[in-house]
Amino acid sequence: MGSLISQIQAVVAMNLRSLPQRIWMSLATLFAVAIVVAVLLAFLSMANGFQQTVKNTGSESLAVILRAGSQAELNSVITRDQVNLLSEAPGIVRGDKGPKVSAELYVTVDGIKRSSQTEVNLPLRGISESGISLREGFTIIEGRMFEPGKNEIVVGSSVLREFSGFELGNSLRFGKTTWTVVGVFEAGASVFASELWTDVRTLQSQFNRGSSAQVIRVALQQPGDIGAITEYIDKEPRLNMDVKTEAEYYQEQAKAMSDMIFFLGWPLAIAMALGALAGALNTMYNSVAQRAVEIATLRAIGFRGVSAFLGTLVESLVLAFIGGLLGTLAAFLLFDGISASTLGGSFTQIVFSFELSSDAFVQGITLAMIIGLVGGFFPALKASRVPVMVAFSVDP
Amino acid sequence: MTDTYLVLKNLTRNKLRLVLNCFAILIAFLLFGALGSLQHAFTAGIELSADNRLIVVNKINFTQPLPIAYVNKVRAIDGISKVTHANWFGAYYQDARRPMVGLAVDGDSYLDIYDNILLSDGGREAWLKERQGVIVGERMAHMHGWKVGDRIPISSNIFSQADGSTVWDMVISDIFRDKEPSADTNFLLFHYKYFIETQTFGKDWVGWMILTTEDSSLNERVAKAIDTNFANSSTETDTSTEKAFNRSFLEQVGSIGLIITSVIFAAFFTILLIVGNSMALSIRERTREIAVLKTIGFAAPRIFGMVLAESISLALIGGLLGLGVAVMLINGASSNPQLQSMLPNLIVPPSILIQALGYMLALGLITGIFPALRAMRLNTIDALNRG
Repeated sequence: MGSLISQIQAVVAMNLRSLPQRIWMSLATLFAVAIVVAVLLAFLSMANGFQQTVKNTGSESLAVILRAGSQAELNSVITRDQVNLLSEAPGIVRGDKGPKVSAELYVTVDGIKRSSQTEVNLPLRGISESGISLREGFTIIEGRMFEPGKNEIVVGSSVLREFSGFELGNSLRFGKTTWTVVGVFEAGASVFASELWTDVRTLQSQFNRGSSAQVIRVALQQPGDIGAITEYIDKEPRLNMDVKTEAEYYQEQAKAMSDMIFFLGWPLAIAMALGALAGALNTMYNSVAQRAVEIATLRAIGFRGVSAFLGTLVESLVLAFIGGLLGTLAAFLLFDGISASTLGGSFTQIVFSFELSSDAFVQGITLAMIIGLVGGFFPALKASRVPVMVAFSVDP
Repeated sequence: MTDTYLVLKNLTRNKLRLVLNCFAILIAFLLFGALGSLQHAFTAGIELSADNRLIVVNKINFTQPLPIAYVNKVRAIDGISKVTHANWFGAYYQDARRPMVGLAVDGDSYLDIYDNILLSDGGREAWLKERQGVIVGERMAHMHGWKVGDRIPISSNIFSQADGSTVWDMVISDIFRDKEPSADTNFLLFHYKYFIETQTFGKDWVGWMILTTEDSSLNERVAKAIDTNFANSSTETDTSTEKAFNRSFLEQVGSIGLIITSVIFAAFFTILLIVGNSMALSIRERTREIAVLKTIGFAAPRIFGMVLAESISLALIGGLLGLGVAVMLINGASSNPQLQSMLPNLIVPPSILIQALGYMLALGLITGIFPALRAMRLNTIDALNRG
């Protein structure tokens, strides 16, 4: 047994040391694998980054209430009376200042995307003090909070990064009204960081919305439990509303986009991996053909077929592994952390960062190793079956 | 023995290698065909928009309304031939999770501007007469199995009526086609009057205006005149060509074009590496043969041509197969109703086919040129000695 292992070691070493003889073919395979892995990781990190941002937004302890059928904050309309009725619903946390309910307004304004210099939709959210107290991760990192009754805006940190014109102290014109950016806020890596916030009453009057709101957020007594509120709404004919936990709401909003990225990314990577596999097979068959005399000679002096098999397989796996690492490194350097934005469910921009997860890393290397394994297996089989006679032929 | 015969023999001498190379090229052109069509589907709306059509929206954002009085004010501006307006209805049919495109429009003027919308004989008059009338695109009607005369309840995810209901009763007056067969007809149009009188958001406002200029050379001047006219008013406007508007709308989703181009580039580069090397190898393997051919009188340019013919044939075989698979894939996908509603223009356009042919020739040339040069310049004596 010991001799078989040393045989295998010897053959593997021979294979690897002879790599420079096939340098161009080997490099081609290596780069092909690297590119496939990099493309896969680009899509996975995009899907992951987008999903993380949206996941960080939704809380289980808040419920989002919208007009029935409206699907997104942007579409919904809720009257003052309905807000008052809903505040009476059971299952809502009641503090010193009454039930923890936040009626919010959500309008769309134009911003300029830095990367493309095109106009994009940004959400301007009208919110009250009680609404802000519902958001756990909210902190002002620069400047100060807006004052109720004044045309003042605080902007999310992602807005500042991705869109131009929202720097602290800037004046913004929306129609005939002028607003001042007085602060920058951080809200975790969440969708809120892609929003502009202002006082809800001011927004209602400046955008002629009367006393109407678009979305109601309430703090739930039991996180995740919206049963009591749903029941209350069903019994009250004046309320025609959909209730979801905030976590559920944002998951639904993000589903279409992250599904699309995911389902586009994997088929693409698999198709490209098949192309790279063809390259790997080519390379390894060539390697076997080139070393046919060598392999046959080893067989003639007593080496076993399995050592030839493993020698070829390991060569292929090593090439694929280096390719996979290279691809991962390239993806990490090129994509990880880059900021991008896309349209979310409410028809406004959501800023997110590409995020390479350890999962994606494992998947990338796995894909590379599969290419190496399949690409090496069949040529290795051929290598193990090279007839001993070949060693004695004059012209291979 | 003709050259064609020799090229064929060379191509098929290592069948396994031929299959592998063809497969790699197939993958590259499959990706090109499929992704190229996808990109085309995303941008098709832009290409179909007319040159002299302008869109006027609220300067704050296009989701904010405009006063209806603006329609007549704009009509008075020089250089404009027709003006109409539209409101986004946020329509859906039964299932709120499947929104559809529905616009409340002023029928007569809208059809004047969008003359690509083709109604049946008498369809226009029938629609204009019917207060609750709606005209539905062929594709949408087909998807839901609707016929002329059907009464359909269309819900809005934005608006409600005075009694709190969010469902509007409509009667299908006609089903329309588009002049351009590949254009999207997955939308419905109904009367602004019916909409504005029944919804509760307040009267006298429109979503946006569409106008045609007398000539596309006037576009810029007219756009400026409109925006200046409403500057410093309570509602300022932002006017752009329909093309620019559609393009920037698409940009909001992200740089789809850039992503697709990068993936295609990566795929081609990979295949170039693989096939190029393999081609070089097979010529190196044949060094002695080529020397023999030269010795028996094959001129250098002829050898050069034979090698190039081999690499180009390889690219064409793999490429055409890949393109064929792409066409089948796209045709299969575009008959899926869900995909169809998302990407109505999903077809393999002729421009993609022509580009693909060009890239096949280029791939064959690039992978073949160096081996061919090498073969052409081969020193016969050296090559024979080396063997």
